[in-house]
Amino acid sequence: MMLAASDLSLFVERFINGLADGSIYALLALALVVIFRSTGQLNFAQGEIGTMGAFFVSTLTLTGLPVLLSILLALVLGFAVGAGIERVVVRPIELRNPSAVIVALIGVFLAMNQLTALIWGIDARSLPSLFPNEADDFVTILGAPVRIARLGTIGVLIVVLILLYLLFTKTKIGLAMRAVANNQESSNLVGIRTGFILLLGWGLSGSIAVLAAAMLAPSAGLTGSLMLGPFLLASVAAVLGGLDSPVGAVVGGLIVGLVQAFLVGYHPSIGSIELTPDLLYPVMLVILLGVLLFRPTGLFGSEKVERV
Amino acid sequence: MALPFKVTRGSWQHWAGRVVLFGGVGLFIFRAASQWSRSGQGLLTDALIIAIAVTGLNLITGYTGQLSLGHAAFFAIGAYVSAMLVTGKVTTPFFEENLWTPGWTLPVVAVTCFLVGCVVGIPALRLKGIYLALVTIVFVEAVRSILKYDELVNVTGGSPGIKGLSYLPPSWTGLDGRADLNKWFLYLATFFLVVASLISSGLLRSRIGRGMVATRDNETAAAVMGVHLATIKTVVFGISAAIAGVAGSLYALKLTLVEPDVPKFGLLGSVTLIVALVVGGAAQQWGPFVGAMFYVFVDDYAREVGEAPDKNFFIGWMVDSTTKINGLGGVLFGVLLILFARFVPFGAVGTMRMGRAKVVQVIPVPPTSKSTAVADGEPTTVLSAGIGNLDTSNESEPTS
Repeated sequence: MMLAASDLSLFVERFINGLADGSIYALLALALVVIFRSTGQLNFAQGEIGTMGAFFVSTLTLTGLPVLLSILLALVLGFAVGAGIERVVVRPIELRNPSAVIVALIGVFLAMNQLTALIWGIDARSLPSLFPNEADDFVTILGAPVRIARLGTIGVLIVVLILLYLLFTKTKIGLAMRAVANNQESSNLVGIRTGFILLLGWGLSGSIAVLAAAMLAPSAGLTGSLMLGPFLLASVAAVLGGLDSPVGAVVGGLIVGLVQAFLVGYHPSIGSIELTPDLLYPVMLVILLGVLLFRPTGLFGSEKVERV
Repeated sequence: MALPFKVTRGSWQHWAGRVVLFGGVGLFIFRAASQWSRSGQGLLTDALIIAIAVTGLNLITGYTGQLSLGHAAFFAIGAYVSAMLVTGKVTTPFFEENLWTPGWTLPVVAVTCFLVGCVVGIPALRLKGIYLALVTIVFVEAVRSILKYDELVNVTGGSPGIKGLSYLPPSWTGLDGRADLNKWFLYLATFFLVVASLISSGLLRSRIGRGMVATRDNETAAAVMGVHLATIKTVVFGISAAIAGVAGSLYALKLTLVEPDVPKFGLLGSVTLIVALVVGGAAQQWGPFVGAMFYVFVDDYAREVGEAPDKNFFIGWMVDSTTKINGLGGVLFGVLLILFARFVPFGAVGTMRMGRAKVVQVIPVPPTSKSTAVADGEPTTVLSAGIGNLDTSNESEPTS
């Protein structure tokens, strides 16, 4: 890290850090989008599933399991929790009363948030990283020192994207998932087990949330409120990109990450107001409203045509 | 006489029922003010203050069908406007050294929150459902970070906030300064809850109120029928924000301080308001009161149990005396919210009213003699309706 901090290398460093944070938001946003497409709901508990998973990883690594294996086991837990929420909370309520599901999901958020505190306590923990994360584990790109763990996070996003792309386009289950997202009733009529597919979608997004949390926790520190901020930012990302567009989720996530990184790095100012990272949320609100006022369904979202 | 008894709206029997209900609640509060312990009075005051904020939220979320998770922000803005005026952080004409009496800040709070609410309501013109809910959440965090912002430390007090607020009872009340502070806030909260409820029920009976319900039930149809959606959404958002702001101001004065990190000013505050609204009953006049009472007292009970679970009657036998269960209240409310959304879609008040309708039915008086009376009580669309989708035929005048 003894390199001359030229403007270019600083820029590259901030850009890559922004992409790395953005990858986490993109992953979470992707999980939100997978659910929104199939169920039309926003999973408020998404972040909390992730937090719970990260605590689970920490418990497993403390017993001596390797990090990779712990994360894989936590992914299974995330899948189970996501699927469980769909089966126990969302489906029975949706049958009777679709507009109440969002309230119930706020309930799940609250319960899981406090349950995590109940089980694992309120003290902060540290979580070992999947990638080398010591002080000297960095590579130099265009003169900028970049931590390997950061690059690893971006790599994880790319791998997840490729896997999801293969799942949705090359497998029969993926085809069924797309069909259910498109039209639940028709898919039911052609013999797709919609219930099972919905369960799968919620489970999948639970796993993605856990993965995002496991990527974030080593650098951010593992506390009960680990995913509150990232979940909000991921929601911003998902809405920015369009809640029904996976491409939008990734683009939105990276935009949010980059905006955050450049606020931290450059302190741009509007008039006499200096925009420090403390003002991240006001800036996000302005960006969000600016986009939504012109495109109410986000950058890549599709307009919903309503039949009167 | 066969059940259900039929009572004409506005008849002496109907008024007798109302007198019993309001008198009972009034007596309860009076008794609390004279006999309860200080901590009990404090809790009751908290419940009433939350009930005020939920009354505001009910207007926009319950009756107009726009899910807002942003009302904690108005709560915070109201609290801060009061605190800033009382401690002279803002320069204003007419007041010596800019030190306002707390009571006079409330109108300013209401106007400020109304204006901010109208502005926040503008996105609601284009955004629906989840999109709006998310924008309002981000609004809460945005307000919080502005309150925390270091450059504004002279105005908002930055991260430490503003301390040392006090609101002593004026002499005409006959209350004795500091000794009767609890009683004073209890009456104050009751007074503003009554005012907020009157504003809410008056609004619902007006043209705007009918427009609100129409907007909630079917936006397109409402627009076609001549409801001006833009006006309805922004104005109702403003009014509901103003009511929440006054509640926040009372909350701050009772707490004697404001800080950006007060839980009720953040996302969890919004969740609190939603829990109280849903548990009490969305689109129900008594919903906010019942929901807030339920929330505050159950929350307090859960905290007590969490701190000393071994002394509890129900779970005491399972744990030893060193156990502490932090966060029990949160888990409980989360589960309750899910259960209410699933099994009690009209909340406690809605269910009570359906029960009452089996015994006593209130028959509204038609505005003209040729129209037919409609029985009230049972919501007509039990299965399809949900939160903020309850038939309110007895709130509005029947059509002929």
